[in-house]
Amino acid sequence: MIDIKNKVNSFFIFNSTFGPKEGDELKRILFYHPSQVTQDARKIQVGLCEAVVKFMTTFSTEPCEALQTQSKRYIFYQPEKDYWMVLVVRIPYATKAATTSNEKKEVIEPSVMQDFLMSAYKMFRMFIGPMKDIPTEDIYNNCEQFFTPYIMSRSIANDINNVIQGISYLPLEKNSFFRVVCFIDLLEINYPDFKCVSFVYNDKLIWNGLTTDDMLTLYQYLVQTLLPKQVEKEIQGGAVTAAQRHGRFISPPEGIRNADDLQKLHKVYLMREEDTETKQYYLVIYRTLSATVCFTVDVTTNLSIDTFRSLDAFIGPQLSTIASSISEQCALHALQSTQLSNTDHSFIYFNRLNLAYKTSAPSSSLTPSTAIKPEVLSIIAGIHSDRKSLGNYGEIIIKTPDEYWVTGKSSNDREFYVIIQEKNANLKDIADEVRRICEDQMKGIFFYPM
Amino acid sequence: MASTSKNIPSTANPENVTDDIEPGACTDSILNPTDSFEEFASEMSSSLEERNTLAAKSSTISEIQSEIGESSKETLRETKSSDNLQSKDDSISGSASSSNLTEQNGEDTECERDEYLRSPELVNKEKHVFILSSAGKPIYSRYGNEDKLAGLCGVIQALVSVVEEQNQDILRSISTKDCKAIFLVKGPLILVAVSKSNESETQLVLQLTYAFNQIVSVLTLTQLNRIFEQRRNYDLRRLLSGAERLIDHLLIFMEKDPAFLLGAVRCLPLPEKARENITNAITSTCSKIRDLVFAILIAGNQLITLVRMKKYTLHPSDIHLLFNLVRSSESFKTAESWTPICLPKFDATGFLHGHVSYISEDCQACLLLLTVQRDAFFPLSQAKHTIAEKLRRSNCLVAINDALNRNKELPTTNPLKHIGIPEIRHFMYKCKSTAQLFTSDPISLDRLQDYRLRHKEGGDITEKKIEKLSDIDYVRNYRKFCSQIHCSSTPAKLIFRSNSENTVLAWVTNGFELYVTFDALMEKDHAIRAVDRLLHWIKKEEERIFIMHAPTF
Repeated sequence: MIDIKNKVNSFFIFNSTFGPKEGDELKRILFYHPSQVTQDARKIQVGLCEAVVKFMTTFSTEPCEALQTQSKRYIFYQPEKDYWMVLVVRIPYATKAATTSNEKKEVIEPSVMQDFLMSAYKMFRMFIGPMKDIPTEDIYNNCEQFFTPYIMSRSIANDINNVIQGISYLPLEKNSFFRVVCFIDLLEINYPDFKCVSFVYNDKLIWNGLTTDDMLTLYQYLVQTLLPKQVEKEIQGGAVTAAQRHGRFISPPEGIRNADDLQKLHKVYLMREEDTETKQYYLVIYRTLSATVCFTVDVTTNLSIDTFRSLDAFIGPQLSTIASSISEQCALHALQSTQLSNTDHSFIYFNRLNLAYKTSAPSSSLTPSTAIKPEVLSIIAGIHSDRKSLGNYGEIIIKTPDEYWVTGKSSNDREFYVIIQEKNANLKDIADEVRRICEDQMKGIFFYPM
Repeated sequence: MASTSKNIPSTANPENVTDDIEPGACTDSILNPTDSFEEFASEMSSSLEERNTLAAKSSTISEIQSEIGESSKETLRETKSSDNLQSKDDSISGSASSSNLTEQNGEDTECERDEYLRSPELVNKEKHVFILSSAGKPIYSRYGNEDKLAGLCGVIQALVSVVEEQNQDILRSISTKDCKAIFLVKGPLILVAVSKSNESETQLVLQLTYAFNQIVSVLTLTQLNRIFEQRRNYDLRRLLSGAERLIDHLLIFMEKDPAFLLGAVRCLPLPEKARENITNAITSTCSKIRDLVFAILIAGNQLITLVRMKKYTLHPSDIHLLFNLVRSSESFKTAESWTPICLPKFDATGFLHGHVSYISEDCQACLLLLTVQRDAFFPLSQAKHTIAEKLRRSNCLVAINDALNRNKELPTTNPLKHIGIPEIRHFMYKCKSTAQLFTSDPISLDRLQDYRLRHKEGGDITEKKIEKLSDIDYVRNYRKFCSQIHCSSTPAKLIFRSNSENTVLAWVTNGFELYVTFDALMEKDHAIRAVDRLLHWIKKEEERIFIMHAPTF
């Protein structure tokens, strides 16, 4: 959170069609961060970006992605036609000079910046809706209210969780998993208006009822925004602990106690697995112990406080039983894996199909991983963003000057990375070690070439 | 094992080989092995103020002249005095230097510009290069007609100046998913590459720097700066007629020859004895000519020998410009020429004078004798004939022709076959201390012509299924590895990548850089053994492949 103030120079959104005439330039700027920048400076920045976007259309049909100057990097993202989001970060062009001057500046990967803009937009679209559907008079306000807190609460540091954005799934033994599924089925039969779209334990996903893309956005909202606040509250507030056992609605934040609270429910734009298009839903979130469940309710439904009270009574006890049994299993599993993993090498697994993500580094955003060096991360980001070079199956081993060996394997849509620091190793040793880790950690997942 | 050198322990660990074996290394280098990547870094970290004053260092040429003692006070006057530029130029008006972007592309010009840029001669090109003056006047465009590109040049100039004036910054690059635009401001010129190739930003900046140096080589930096100091609006094309062709050729040359990628010079493989004889022929003939700075014998973009004045060395990039000059000028083949040449790395402020001629009709080696003396044609011409005669008598011309025609008997003609490592498809090797390179499949002269013909038809991006990779395709493939190895923020020492198409190993040590393409899905230990044998072979043949001595007059 401190990071963003140091590195983000500015973040803005513009649409040139909003003020086509000269003199109307300010109307084109939908949002500008930081707010203390003068209007003239805003105009200059946006004017430059407009010119750059235009310049590139003469040569390429693809939208402009980046502008690099001596001291700054601008990353562009056009989520909808004519709407441009731009993130500007201070990055010296020749980084060699920066590294020689003792202080090693951490360089943010362009792919991380690109992902930051995409996540910001998707979050906006989920909670506010597509930009083109928002009336012109509202959009400035909407952007201000959404993006100011969003950008203040987020860091774009080079962290492994930012380099590869995925979802941590919780593997369960089959009986426990069936209990979760039975609970969801029973609930949806009794309350047909409510559809369960996600079941999260701690920060790990067990059940998903959304398209993968939306799931990632909802998951990031839960894990990065909503749950950290909840956890903090739970730790501080002694009074709530009693209520915790039975569970409660956590969105809206004050819970749902009377009919007025129903008005505060978030409306979101989502695409459920069975949907063919994005629709608007109420988002209901319920939490007991460490289990968090999200439901969607069609916005056309008449909500009654009685339904919510009865839902609370239905879910509370059941969910708390399930949560405790999962918790026992996790404890057991943790014990086993500490015995198993005697390796001190870091690894990352990612599956592009379901966004499944597993790493040896702490994956929670609450405890950022300092284990992986920025240079190594940047190599991984490079491999990850250049899918073509490995093709459907392939392997790359890169050795850095400070004796880190970074291995990346790809097999169809699965990726596996291992980081080993070893001074006197050769290619063969590293390849053997990687194979061993792969077999240990990724039992049953096939990687070719071996 | 092809290895015969007994003092080198054979080892399966590439890391251990480093200390013992650095094929081609020698303490005495004929070339200045400064890494072009290091230069790039220092260039790119320059600030805005520093950059605008492209101050040339003290003149090496006048230093030589004063050393020789006959510094005949005549400064190196350029052939064209800047005075007569004035009169011609009055008609040219209209500053394109409006810093306001919206004014610049008024609706009319914009439509015209867009239309022309979409015309078949410009659309779908893999790489555009535009050179314009800092006032926005077109100087060179790789494709199409510069005159019709005035609008585009205006926009480029406006972009550059907006970033400089309003943001106190320097514009470096703009990119989309499939296309990069790279900007380089050098003194009074703006150079832009718009590329859809897989070359990295650094590689493209280096190419633009070469293009700039090519212009300097024709005009000298002093003259270039003075022209624009006097007339900011000057149309430089009138001084550069002929140089366009040089830049055209240089751009093609850079796209295909790994020498540019590695910042190294390719040598013509010759038996040690033959090269020694050639060098002796030159030194014995020229030792009496006092103001001769360099004597260079080249053939087919390869260096045969270079004899130099003590203390002075040549940078690979200057040699590349000489290669380009010789290759692009058919006239050298028919007659002895006397031409002013500025070598930007050696001394950007003045001209050397060069006697350029082919050794004989039956040998395509070209001799360049570079001097600081502007009226030395006749003594140098005589020297050339003596040298040619000596080479013929000592059978050196035969040796050169054999190497050029890639006689099958020679081990260097098809090294992979000679070593017997069929699993290696292609390799390139650079010895860092001498800035020389060797590849498994040297691009021969006729192939180069062939590429040029093919290029003329296109420069267009074509999606074709490649059945058999040519050496140019392998080199293209190495670009990414090369840029990662030399990446300033996250360099790599070794990259091993294997996919369904091939396996590539890129490896850099203190002494060398090596890039090898193997069959697909190569086992690591096999690859290590193959590389080991390759290095031993290069070590064994190093006297033939590389120039290991740095003779002086």
